[in-house]
Amino acid sequence: MTPRLSVVDLSLGYEGQVFMRGIDLEVGSGEIVAVLGPSGSGKSTLLGEITGVLPVPHGHVLVDGRDVTTAPIQERGVGLLFQEPLLFPHLDVAANIAYGLRRHGWDRRRATARAHELLNWLGLDGYGPRRPDQLSGGQAQRVALARALAPQPAVLGLDEPFSALDADLRRRLAVEVAAVLRESGVAAIHVTHDAEEAQAIADRVIELPSLGSPA
Amino acid sequence: MTLPAWLRWSWVLPAAFLAVFLAYPLATLVRTIASSAGGFAADLVDTSLWQVAGLAVLQALASTLLALLIGLPLANVATRYRYRGRALVQALVTVPFVLPTVVVALAVRSLLGPGMPQGLALVVIAHAYVNLAVVTRIVGSQWAQQTGELELVARTLGASRWRAFVDVTLPGLRPSIITSAAVVFVFSFSSLGIVLLLGDATTRTLESQVLRQVSVLLDFPGAAASAIVQLVVVSLVLLLGAVASRGQSSRRRRPVPLHPLPTLPGPRLAVLGTAAFGSAIVLLPIIALVLASLRGPAGWTLDWWASLGSVDAGTTRLAPPSAALATSLGYAAVTALVAALVGGAAALAILVPGRARVIAVIGMVPLGVSAATLGLGTLLAFGRPPFDLRGTGLLVPVAHALVAVPLVIAVVTPALRGTDPRLAALAATLGARASRAFWTAHGPVLRVAMVASAALAGAVSLGEFGAAAFLARTDSPTVPVQIVRLLGRPGDQSVGVAAALAVVLVVVTLLLVLLIDRWGSTRTSRRSAVAA
Repeated sequence: MTPRLSVVDLSLGYEGQVFMRGIDLEVGSGEIVAVLGPSGSGKSTLLGEITGVLPVPHGHVLVDGRDVTTAPIQERGVGLLFQEPLLFPHLDVAANIAYGLRRHGWDRRRATARAHELLNWLGLDGYGPRRPDQLSGGQAQRVALARALAPQPAVLGLDEPFSALDADLRRRLAVEVAAVLRESGVAAIHVTHDAEEAQAIADRVIELPSLGSPA
Repeated sequence: MTLPAWLRWSWVLPAAFLAVFLAYPLATLVRTIASSAGGFAADLVDTSLWQVAGLAVLQALASTLLALLIGLPLANVATRYRYRGRALVQALVTVPFVLPTVVVALAVRSLLGPGMPQGLALVVIAHAYVNLAVVTRIVGSQWAQQTGELELVARTLGASRWRAFVDVTLPGLRPSIITSAAVVFVFSFSSLGIVLLLGDATTRTLESQVLRQVSVLLDFPGAAASAIVQLVVVSLVLLLGAVASRGQSSRRRRPVPLHPLPTLPGPRLAVLGTAAFGSAIVLLPIIALVLASLRGPAGWTLDWWASLGSVDAGTTRLAPPSAALATSLGYAAVTALVAALVGGAAALAILVPGRARVIAVIGMVPLGVSAATLGLGTLLAFGRPPFDLRGTGLLVPVAHALVAVPLVIAVVTPALRGTDPRLAALAATLGARASRAFWTAHGPVLRVAMVASAALAGAVSLGEFGAAAFLARTDSPTVPVQIVRLLGRPGDQSVGVAAALAVVLVVVTLLLVLLIDRWGSTRTSRRSAVAA
């Protein structure tokens, strides 16, 4: 079966400087791969190149077998979940979740109905009309997850999405999110420096330095 | 923190100054209207008044739109990207705002005048030029706080670059766009110097109408009616702007690092091209102004500069055009002193808990009163018995000080508030009395802020035209008044001499602003170095 995400002979670079070469990685449907490494090791660069935020100096990124190496961000089928929920402050919770569906051609009514279904799925029934600043940290991160998954991306990048939460909530939410990700069939790539968190939710843990060779 | 007892009385000086020189003239204005009985009502329903008001609204809307169209992309490249020369672009964009409006008008006329007749288009272009800094600074400071992550999220959800800008960036900038639009609108709606020099018979503002009614038609009640209508419109727009821009986020004030230039050639060129375009827009009129001061009908010449010292080239028959410079510098010095004292005392009063908000609001009132209204009111109150101050030479600096006091308050208050309150407490624990402890904590900052704001007040006075047009004596005009008078006369010499005078004013104003900037930043960095 074609992996949902394939990274082939990828180099990592920033502002014209390549610092790692030859990265190969595959992630299947419903699989969670954690990429572990200290800060500055290139985890975020890897995620940036997969999502299209950063240009790829060398190599290829394939999503569902399609080469998206030079495709614009919005056409890659790759979602992102950041450390902070980054909900759009001027939209209510339901409109935040519906945003991606609207960009994929859904009409407003259908998109809003789907947003409420996703809220329901994440145990946040009735939160649709709330504004982002009326949510707790954990609730906001759940809404961000629902928003990222709503347009059914093939791949979801998680950039230490629990690090801003307290330890107890972090553990609970990580387990909860892992279950949601497996159920959704998305290929998840989770970059973190927290080995314990990586072990707790990932199917595979890879240390970044072992993925490629220094340039 | 224990504040010294005398601080509780620091409100007296600004209150007395504003009562005598703002409230009393405005009351006199209202009394003049009331005493004209039926006249004022007739003036208010006069269709020509509303025609002027309507045209001024359209002109101000067009000016605001153009300022936003050019200012928004400039705000983006001047505040968010990292590239060589960014600081220069930022500084350049501010230049038109510190230039006297009369100088801007002449500069724009020197650049576009030959190909573009006087009228609405020139006025709108000049207004947009002056206000580039307003849009760039106000919107830029909010834009610089945006990390770009929200747009990135929108794009991973399927939005194109443009769609993410419309859906996410613009709503985030809404408060600052509204605030800057309100400021530009008010400036353009109540503009005087630019409208006088670049407008035609149909391009008038209520401000220019007031001047005409007073100086040509001697219709004081009519002028008062125009002034009042303008006051109402300006207050309404500022109020609407304040209400609509509520929610200006103060949550996120952490420094956001500058973005590197985009890697794709297209967007990269767009950023650098916008920066170059913005710099050219700012510089071209100034270059045209300098050239105008050096060109005569027969080619290059220094005649206009030489004429600065010639009585024949002046408009008073008594003194050369350069005498206006001495007059303006004298007024600027008095303005700087008065505004710094009054504004400084008001800023100190704002430190006292309980009445801070009242003093802050009252201190800002002169901002809402147009210069011509201020000039007219002052003329009515102090230009005739029983309080005839015309012979004292104080009317212009007092009016200028009123214009500058809100700026002084705006500079000094945050500086005082930024002082660590624990310093005063610390001094007190070491045995300092309340006054001594207060000066130990606030004195150094206060000195820097007072000198900087005094220089700012001086710069404002040098360029101010509206109030001076009413109050400057015929035989001793200020530089902006002299420039307008020169341009009212036919002949190449008048335009050339006006351009030379304007270049001198540009140099003096920029030197003053540069001095404030350098001095303020050196002192501040030295202090922070000591603190660190």
